[in-house]
Amino acid sequence: MSAVGDRFFPDAMPSPAANAETAGWWEACAEHRLVVQRCIACGTTRHPPGPVCPSCRSLDWRWQELPGTGTVYTFTVVRQAFLPALADTVPYVVAAVEPDGAGGQRMVSNIVDIDPEDVEVRMAVEVVWEDMSPELALPRFRPRALGNGEGR
Amino acid sequence: MTPGGRQAVIAGVATSDYPSLPNMSEHAVHGQAADRALADAGLTFADVDGFATAGFFPMYAVGVAEYLGLHPTYYDETNAGGASFEVLVEHAKYAVEAGAAEVVLVTYGSVQLSQMGRRLGTGGGGGGGFAPGPAIYDALWGNTLVGNYAMAARRHMHEYGTTPEQLAAIAVSMREYAGHNPQAQYRDPLTVEDVVTSRLVADPLHKLDCCVISDGGGACVVTTAERAADLAKPPVHILGGAHTTTHHMNLSADADLTVTGAVESGRLAFERARLTPADVDVAQIYDSFTITVLLTLEDLGFCKKGEGGDFVADGGLSLGGRLPTNTDGGGLSACHPGMRGMFLIVEAVRQLRGECGPTQVPGASIAVAHGTGGMLSASATLLLGKEAS
Repeated sequence: MSAVGDRFFPDAMPSPAANAETAGWWEACAEHRLVVQRCIACGTTRHPPGPVCPSCRSLDWRWQELPGTGTVYTFTVVRQAFLPALADTVPYVVAAVEPDGAGGQRMVSNIVDIDPEDVEVRMAVEVVWEDMSPELALPRFRPRALGNGEGR
Repeated sequence: MTPGGRQAVIAGVATSDYPSLPNMSEHAVHGQAADRALADAGLTFADVDGFATAGFFPMYAVGVAEYLGLHPTYYDETNAGGASFEVLVEHAKYAVEAGAAEVVLVTYGSVQLSQMGRRLGTGGGGGGGFAPGPAIYDALWGNTLVGNYAMAARRHMHEYGTTPEQLAAIAVSMREYAGHNPQAQYRDPLTVEDVVTSRLVADPLHKLDCCVISDGGGACVVTTAERAADLAKPPVHILGGAHTTTHHMNLSADADLTVTGAVESGRLAFERARLTPADVDVAQIYDSFTITVLLTLEDLGFCKKGEGGDFVADGGLSLGGRLPTNTDGGGLSACHPGMRGMFLIVEAVRQLRGECGPTQVPGASIAVAHGTGGMLSASATLLLGKEAS
């Protein structure tokens, strides 16, 4: 596993500048809850978080809690580090994950706890949380059935 | 075109020196390309009343116009990344046909290789300290620009059985053309085997599935058919153009990674030009990565969705193949200074004028130039013709 210490990514990674529209997503992450934004008017989900429904333009939305399971829609193995902070982390897997219950909306994340060569499209995964700081936790995903959902 | 009215044409084109310009500024590249394109048309700076360019700084067109000594009464700096110049020329067509300008100079210049080095090219979307707006939802998980294209390629392979060897065939065809282009950055022959055994940058894309990183630029001159009639070169007609967007910096927002905005920009451009893909003799398709070309060819309608692999395989894009594409060697082998769209227009015009020597497509009368910007985010299609319709 190409983790740095007990971290998948090192501390030198950038931090999200959360704003009024996005803070709720990061706050849920800090509590290890995976959520997606859902339009109250038409039900369309969206990610990254934003103020307006791209489908019906409604400004009314809510956070919907997700079970934390999902499937890999597509992925890549990043083998050349473009962030200096990740020079010792390559190769690592970046994936577009379709979380269950998110209406087909995808999220970009990592697939961890697996050899990058063994990752497959449509693979069943579940969320694992990495605490970067007291305020910031990042959802990553690992193959389902490898564990009972305990955070790494 | 406006029936019975003013019709926009491209009267002059040029590329600057490329691919390595360590002693030139970005503005000097604009200037060199502008000088040459105006000379190609038989015009001078005194004839120019409209100006368009795109770059990475605010008020970019105003600054480059100042450098060139221009005080245009029409200007445009729409930035759609690699698709910018197809959009700018489409806009210039409308401006000229509406009578808002007589002669629009469109320029591009970049010294990305010399000034910023190789780090930027396939990095982006994850390089620095930087991630504007939604890009943070990629960057925090270490995604990269090439990673987005790689994920599109992976999904296309999953859905349609497309192979790395089929993608490699695109790079092989581009290299064949580059072998005839004395300016091309890489000219040695390439095999499918060379591509698929080159280092993986972001699976399933190899180093040789990725564009080169270069210095360089180009320019073109848009004016009316009437004005062009007594100029230096035969005019090339701008038969139709269209552009669209799908998403910006985060691929989560894209509904289907295997489908690009070329579906919509292509449909509209062909409709406006009253043409179909079967009418096209030669294509200049943005080739940031091999997968960019494959998706674009499918989405423009040159083959069905999912059949791009077969279309490009076995020299499908080579001279004498199903659709000769990127006849200057493309961004994969010849030159990619960051926003390559201008090179597509220049090469399309040269093909329609019959100026391409060993890579000339015999009798080429209709060409398509299609730019792609961002992470498959922005798409722009131009249809150009030797004749007015």
